[in-house]
Amino acid sequence: MPDSALLVEHITKRFSGHDAVRDLSLSVPRGTVYGLLGPNGAGKTTTIRMVLDILAPDEGRILILGRANTDDAVRQRVGYLPEERGLYKKMQVRRMLRFLAELKGVPGREADRRISRWLERFGLIENGRDWGRARVDELSRGMQQKVQFIGALLHEPELVILDEPFSGLDPINAQALKDTVVDLRREGRTVVFSTHLMDNAERLCDSICIIARGERQLEGELATVKAQHGGRHVALELASGDAARAVAMLHDASVVRTLDDSNRSFELELAPGADPQALLRRILDAGARVERFEMVRPSLHRIFLDVVGATDVEAGMSGHG
Amino acid sequence: MGKLLTVLRREYTERVRSRWFLISTALGPVFFAAIGVLPLVLASRTRPSPDLSHIVVLDATGTDLGRRVAGELAGGIAAPESQAIVRAVTPDALARAESTATHDVMAGESGPLGYLVLDSATLAGTAARYAGRNASSLIDVKRIEDAVRQSVLALRLEGEGLEPRRIKALTDFQLDMRAERLTTRGREAGGLASALFAYLLAFLLYTMIVIYGQQILRGVMEEKTTRVAEVIVSSVSTDTLLTGKVVGVGAASLTQMLLWTAGALAMLELRRPILARFGIPNPTVPLPHISAAVAVVLVLFFVLGFILYAGLFAAVGATVSNEQDAQQASLPVMLLLILAIIFVQPILLEPTGTLARVMSWLPFSAPILMPLRMTIIQVGWGEILATLAGVAFGCAATVWLGARIYRVGLLMYGKRPTLRELGRWVRQA
Repeated sequence: MPDSALLVEHITKRFSGHDAVRDLSLSVPRGTVYGLLGPNGAGKTTTIRMVLDILAPDEGRILILGRANTDDAVRQRVGYLPEERGLYKKMQVRRMLRFLAELKGVPGREADRRISRWLERFGLIENGRDWGRARVDELSRGMQQKVQFIGALLHEPELVILDEPFSGLDPINAQALKDTVVDLRREGRTVVFSTHLMDNAERLCDSICIIARGERQLEGELATVKAQHGGRHVALELASGDAARAVAMLHDASVVRTLDDSNRSFELELAPGADPQALLRRILDAGARVERFEMVRPSLHRIFLDVVGATDVEAGMSGHG
Repeated sequence: MGKLLTVLRREYTERVRSRWFLISTALGPVFFAAIGVLPLVLASRTRPSPDLSHIVVLDATGTDLGRRVAGELAGGIAAPESQAIVRAVTPDALARAESTATHDVMAGESGPLGYLVLDSATLAGTAARYAGRNASSLIDVKRIEDAVRQSVLALRLEGEGLEPRRIKALTDFQLDMRAERLTTRGREAGGLASALFAYLLAFLLYTMIVIYGQQILRGVMEEKTTRVAEVIVSSVSTDTLLTGKVVGVGAASLTQMLLWTAGALAMLELRRPILARFGIPNPTVPLPHISAAVAVVLVLFFVLGFILYAGLFAAVGATVSNEQDAQQASLPVMLLLILAIIFVQPILLEPTGTLARVMSWLPFSAPILMPLRMTIIQVGWGEILATLAGVAFGCAATVWLGARIYRVGLLMYGKRPTLRELGRWVRQA
């Protein structure tokens, strides 16, 4: 049994003149949660479309569960949630889901059973109201997103690929999604998702890959990545309104090398040779009330900014992610 | 195969279940009766120009032919004010008189409708000339021609010594011309009934291709704009999706036509007792005889024609992302269809002419015009099969082209592609 659920080898995709993806290689271990991270326009969606054989790479090859991704049978074992959600608006929810399940080879009756189970699990059957009997366009946006997510999972895929699954989700739905991802992993399935929200990636991913400008910048287990990305980092939180008192010394380059300023909370990397105790004392002396001062591993957010370069995040194009 | 069936079933059932399908299936016959029969009824009721007496007759024959023609045109009414103005001229003065008359007619509404020239050639029975604002009205010209013919005839018979009253009695009669269609199978329904049927058939084919072709366009556009396409093409190829769509929608349209046909036949049967209740005898409806082979060919023409246009409509749907663009981009396809339907009338009038032949051979108009010709005249099997092959070839071409544009366009969002970009899509797909 191959140990990679997904193996991408040196793929390149060109669109009229520019390289959307250049010589990209990935390896997703089985049974893990894998994050494909990158700013908008980095080539995430293009990569995912190539994995699903919606687009063909100009160079390179892709293996899913050990077999070429052009093999129809192996793609039946993949579940896909595209970035742009879409359902037939006029179709009844249950018939829509059944259609998606049948496309993946699930027989009708079995599909119906699974649909009921999932609808209940996501609260789409409640208080005697079965939203499955409603038409898609009668559902709220959040409900439609759940339906789409169910559609990607009905055939119990071994590999689940989610493109920007958290975009547009409210906190409750986002939590439901996270819970499901955790459940899927427990069941031994592999989940690959792309995102530019580092918070979710940091909590969910076993491994990550950061891509930018169509190229891989970094790949590996999250713990390893963090360890390699050494440096001495401090998580600092100040009482409300006290930030102004500490700002001057936080911008002192002899003490602080990089600073991620989120108003009340800061993530900073100490300059070489700087003493964290001295820094804490100076902040207290300035009259700021410290609520948290902790030596930490760098956050994924920090690593992402370092790797991609803050300017690139700003300049990220919308559209193909 | 399983996936194709899944796509096909969805396309079919979702359409057949739709409210639109149910309503149009129920009301279709009414609609077709209205648009198919009303124009014919109205046309047959339309009277020619009410006042043909408002013309000038330039009589250079030196006889009273002009006066006779004027009387004939007035339908025998002798009152001078309701008769055409007759100007007796000498042959030498005819040119002058004609230019004056031309000037008067061109003056518009206040002047006469037109002028008729009678000269020695008319007396000899070879020629007469008419010029006027209504010269394009075939019925008007025919009436004038009849009046001249009748008057020349009367003049000649009087010359032979016959009494005017006697002539009138002998020549004045209405002939009711009945036409029956005779084919190798024998005698068939009346010519008018078969023309009516042919007209309805052509119109039905046209309407069905337009309506269901547009449904394909809209279906593709929906998948593209709602991004459903992306989920589906991650499980099935675009070719399978397109095939399932075209076959599913086509099957829905065939279902509707089948229901309509059944409904029409049932109505014919039901009409007898209903009419009998009102004491009206059931008029026999002369249905043209359609053999099984012809029926198969008719269905084949529809199926192939539908696929031919479906390929084009799908391609259009894949290039647009909103309703307005869809309207614009589908115009070229619609023009091809409209071109076909424009020729229905001329072909009905002259089904054996060159125009009829050529138009019924061209793949884009054959699916509508060949069935039309087949119903009014007998077309040889060789010609029918060759035309079918031509349409099948056209089908393959548009489906090939459509599938390529569809494959690329389905996942392209944003602005409409230019023609050059379309060319690139076709090459790179």
